Amino acid sequence: MDPALSYGTGHGGVMKARPPTMREKKRYILARINPPVPDPDPKELYFAVLESVTSLFGDAQTARMMPVVISCGKGYALIRCTRGYEEQTRIALMTLTSVAERKIALHPVATSGTLLALKRRIARMPPLGWELVSPLQFKGSEYTARRYPGQKVDLLEKGIKSQELLFLTQDDLEEL
Amino acid sequence: MMDTDACIHPYPAGNSSARRMVLEAGEMGFRAIVIPGAAPGEYHGVRIIPAIIISETDVRKVTGQIRKRGNGVTLVLVDAGDNGFNRAVLTQRGVHCIRRIHRAPKNAFDHVSARLAEENGIAVDIDLSPLIQEKGVLRQKILYRYHDLMKLHSRYRFPLTLSSNACSVLDLRSPEEIRLLCTLFGMDKEDTSLALRTVWTLLSPTEQVMVVS
Repeated sequence: MDPALSYGTGHGGVMKARPPTMREKKRYILARINPPVPDPDPKELYFAVLESVTSLFGDAQTARMMPVVISCGKGYALIRCTRGYEEQTRIALMTLTSVAERKIALHPVATSGTLLALKRRIARMPPLGWELVSPLQFKGSEYTARRYPGQKVDLLEKGIKSQELLFLTQDDLEEL
Repeated sequence: MMDTDACIHPYPAGNSSARRMVLEAGEMGFRAIVIPGAAPGEYHGVRIIPAIIISETDVRKVTGQIRKRGNGVTLVLVDAGDNGFNRAVLTQRGVHCIRRIHRAPKNAFDHVSARLAEENGIAVDIDLSPLIQEKGVLRQKILYRYHDLMKLHSRYRFPLTLSSNACSVLDLRSPEEIRLLCTLFGMDKEDTSLALRTVWTLLSPTEQVMVVS
């Protein structure tokens, strides 16, 4: 038997890959995650992306778009979709508001035909740096502060349930 | 002329301070932002435009509020009501923008209102927050209302503004993202760019030159 015609390695041959011209063309979207820390779970992010695409464009269109979260971490997520649907995928990403009850926002940064180009772009971006300041008093409650380079400060209320998250600046804290 | 978010709601209405929202908006590409109740100013190169939101059901009360709180540098935003109310508001001097059209009853903003808005240079605000926050039937209804609004806009060319009505930095969307989002209800990118700059023309309207002698 011609090895090229066999269906799997079980028959003694090598499975022939689909020729490049017959493969589905893909596009890769790099999206910034806000707030960048903690990283969302990739599987939970995938379900959240799928949910937002489905709710906006419906099942039939989602099947054609095939959105997949390839990876996420360090404040960025890489999402794959079918070529020609990148604009709709970007719109759907903008309508994503939470991942597993945690409020987040995705901001599409770049779209590319290769994953490598986006990985190079991530490598060129400044590394995500922040320092933890704890405890910090704000309006009578105790918070943990996450201070980013520049002005941005995120405050997370200390507690077990329904912790309030506040987004402030260094100037706001100095004014207290 | 700069891209402007026509309304945001910082702390205590939301979970982000006004400075933080202005900072994030600046990073996204906005050069001005409208904040109800804020003092006019600038922070990290982004201009803060103060506004007042009037939420009344009686036009006389709206007039009273404009007389009391309007001062020329503050953007006056009025919440839409039924058809009669909207028509009356659109003839009021001092009103810059009518908002929350999607919450008004069906047919509350019709061809007559559209013509009045165009004649008096009063903008109609498109609130983007329900497109992001809502899902299902509610979002479908809002998309339908905005589609209808765009149909009227293509005929009467009244000014439009775009607002995120963000209560958090997580609700803010960049001008480029807004351009994409608006394609959902048939607003082309040129109209979106124009709508993002409308706030400036509302605050400094170009009046016709009159020969006095």
